[in-house]
Amino acid sequence: MEIQKILVVDDDKPISSYLQRKFAKLGYTVYVAEDGEEAVKQAFSNRPDIILLDVKLPKMNGIEVCKQLKADETTKSIPVLMLSAKAQSFEINEGLEAGADKYLCKPMSFPDILGEIRAYERK
Amino acid sequence: MFKKLYDKYINLGILPKLLIYYLIISVVPLMIVGYIANKNLSETGFQALKRAEEMGKENLKAAEDVGKTSIADSVQALDRKSTEAIELRTVELAIRIADFLYERDKDILILASLEPNPKNYLDIYRASNRDVIATETRASTKRNKEKMTELQPRNPENKEAWRHLPPLDFEKASKPLYREITYIDLQGRERIKIADGKISNNLSDISKRENTYCRAEDYFTPLKNLKKGEIFVSRVVGTHIKGWLHKTPEGIKVKPESAYAGKENPRGSKFEGIIRWGKPVYDGKGEKTGYVTMALDHAHVMEFTDHIVPTEDRFTVLSDGGSGNYAFIWDHEDRCISHARDFFICGFDPRTGKEVPGWVSQETYDEYKKSGLTIEAFMRRLSSFRNFSQKKTSSIEQMKSGEIPLDCRVLDTAPQCQGWHEGTKDGGSGSFLILWSGLWKLTTYATIPYYTGPYGKSQKGFGYVTIGANVDDFHKDANITKAKIEKTIFEEGNEIVSANNKTRKLIGESASRNRRLITIISVIAGLAVIGVSLVISIHLTGPLRRLTEGAAAMSRGDLDQSIDVKSRDEIGQLAASFNEMAKAVSEVDRMKSDFVTIASHELRTPIQAMMLGVSGILEGYSGKVDNEVREDLDLAKEGIERLMRLVANLLDLSRIEAKKIELNVSSVSVTEIIDRAIAEVNDLAQAHLHTIVEYMPADISDIRVDKDRMIQVMINLLSNSIKYSPDGGRILVKAERKGEEIIFTIADNGYGVPAWAKEEIFKKFFQADSIMSQKVGGSGLGLTITKGLVEKHHGYIRCESPVPEGVFPDLPLDGERKGAIFIIHLPASGVSTA
Repeated sequence: MEIQKILVVDDDKPISSYLQRKFAKLGYTVYVAEDGEEAVKQAFSNRPDIILLDVKLPKMNGIEVCKQLKADETTKSIPVLMLSAKAQSFEINEGLEAGADKYLCKPMSFPDILGEIRAYERK
Repeated sequence: MFKKLYDKYINLGILPKLLIYYLIISVVPLMIVGYIANKNLSETGFQALKRAEEMGKENLKAAEDVGKTSIADSVQALDRKSTEAIELRTVELAIRIADFLYERDKDILILASLEPNPKNYLDIYRASNRDVIATETRASTKRNKEKMTELQPRNPENKEAWRHLPPLDFEKASKPLYREITYIDLQGRERIKIADGKISNNLSDISKRENTYCRAEDYFTPLKNLKKGEIFVSRVVGTHIKGWLHKTPEGIKVKPESAYAGKENPRGSKFEGIIRWGKPVYDGKGEKTGYVTMALDHAHVMEFTDHIVPTEDRFTVLSDGGSGNYAFIWDHEDRCISHARDFFICGFDPRTGKEVPGWVSQETYDEYKKSGLTIEAFMRRLSSFRNFSQKKTSSIEQMKSGEIPLDCRVLDTAPQCQGWHEGTKDGGSGSFLILWSGLWKLTTYATIPYYTGPYGKSQKGFGYVTIGANVDDFHKDANITKAKIEKTIFEEGNEIVSANNKTRKLIGESASRNRRLITIISVIAGLAVIGVSLVISIHLTGPLRRLTEGAAAMSRGDLDQSIDVKSRDEIGQLAASFNEMAKAVSEVDRMKSDFVTIASHELRTPIQAMMLGVSGILEGYSGKVDNEVREDLDLAKEGIERLMRLVANLLDLSRIEAKKIELNVSSVSVTEIIDRAIAEVNDLAQAHLHTIVEYMPADISDIRVDKDRMIQVMINLLSNSIKYSPDGGRILVKAERKGEEIIFTIADNGYGVPAWAKEEIFKKFFQADSIMSQKVGGSGLGLTITKGLVEKHHGYIRCESPVPEGVFPDLPLDGERKGAIFIIHLPASGVSTA
């Protein structure tokens, strides 16, 4: 699977802008959404190849976003990697139950995050 | 002791304390007052009663004394009068018998004066009759008192103490006086014989004893020896008739096969006997031609006494030997010749002509048997009136044989015999009392003043009459009076006693009423005390207890406490304060928990940013990095990681403390847990040159736990061992099953834990540095979280230091290498639910 477009959803500007810059530098097309509603909108409009989704978001949280995307035929095949500061097992379970393909706990190092994305590239 | 009591007291709850106070201030004084009141009342009452009783007793005693004295006097008087009357009756009876016998002397004189021919003799025989009371008819002999008073005097002046007795209505029969009249020639042969009312041809030689009455008479020789003018009179001769006495529940009875015994045995054979008179007969020339004899039917002598009773009845058809009230006759040699019981009359055995020996005591009979003599010889040798005493018992053998005639000379069980014998020696009369068979008996005696022939040899004459009378019977009236007086006194006494009892009862009742009242009041007061205490307990101690319980629950971590107290008093206020406090504490706790959760989350985001930056640079995503920058950034990355772990630990701790941690339980291989934990710390261990030794039995079973959490536990402990051991240490990891537990052991030969800190190290933010000689990094939360997780798995953890011998057999543990060992006990069954 070819990954070219990455949707980064995070309301924390330093994180989202860092990821946007680094992924772009590596040749990816990066879309950034800072709230849940925006994330859903962009997922439909931009059709990213993978979504890096924070859970704690304004307007609509990551769980709800994931559920909506996984419920729709057009977006359901997009891998959703949740990246959240919520690291407790019930929170992880909640994310996986909402349909996330992977649940990553903050903090993650950039190489680790990149490794996770590249793991999907190879599939 | 007071210290002990005080200790007990201060340990008491409020309810028992209140009970004690209330009892002391209410019931105790009540009881004291009650006791005093009751005591005073009873004492006063009983003192009065005691005085009354004493007075009653005195009165009663006086009455009794008067009664007793007067009765005693009257009894004595009556006894004397009765005695005199019976004595007189005895004497008169004896005189009448003597007169009767003297009349027989006249008869023999007449007979001797007549020409001896059958016709003359028959005339005399037929002319000599005398009435006897017919005992066979059993006519009523009782004269009742109504009959006695039937006839009233015409002249009222005769009315005072008028007594009238109708004549005796006993049926009588005329009986010939003589059983036979004989004329005997000088050789002793009978020449004329009148018997059974006719001239008998059955004549025999009476010089021979065997031809005489009962083969027992020896009268020919005495007849021959009579001087002119002398009369021969024989003793009583008759056949002894046997008799048997036997004991029954109703008393001593006469067996029916016995001789006649009046009322006791009216159908028995009567004693039959004779007394023979004899006198020589002279012809006109004064020559002795022969002898005339006449045999008096002894029944006529017995008739004198057989119907006598010394009671108000005076006479009876059938005498009663058992009653003790009867008359009897003894001959000049103290033999019984008339008795209510005919078997007591002395007689002969008509087959042998031998006299039946008298009844003796067992003692004397035994003596006879030992003597080797014949009974007759023994009796002849036996001295008269030897050792007479009621203490002796009668000879059983004689009783069994039925041969029990009374011969006063040898009847050594009856001391009264001696009295009669001695009293009649001078021909006199008298009486004495004797305690016979448990009753006082009056016994009178009177010599029968008949001195003809052989009877004239002593003052005793023919013998003597005796009358026995029960003392109680003849002063019956006195006894009735006595009984009446006693009854009156008894009744009066009873009345006094009953009155006193009534008073006593009243006092007792009053006292008991008071007691009851006091008891009831005390009980009510006691119940009230208990009730009040209970109410207070409900309103005071109940809420207090609930407060205590709530506080205890809070201290255990269960902070949602609310005490339901409705009252607004101090307790209510206290409860309200407590509730507010609990709410506040709970709120603070929740806030703390929330804070930790939020903070940890909020901390992660900036950490993430730092992490991204630092890690990106280090990995060269931001261009080439020179070594100095790399080293500096490594330092920064290490700091970020520690910060990250601290945040994670804080979050764990907060969840453990809030009991919000949830376990994700599954069946996990113990080996996997340990292997993964070791793999996790291996780099660190190698960095410090530690060797990790794993010991695991091959067959160790799986365990149901939260895998990640248990790995976390093992990592925590392993990290601990690595951190707190000098480089080049040995770390032992072991898991084993012991009974119902799986035991994990992590031992090291590191710095160890001082004894005082073995518990402390599990407390949060324990300053590990305080026990360390050098600084070791750590959040101070690892062991606290470990303990919390183990406990969440229903297990427990403990620490021992230094390490027990044998854990590291090949390593010396000394100096700074004391070592520490952490032992985790988990239930082998694991955790059933999350």
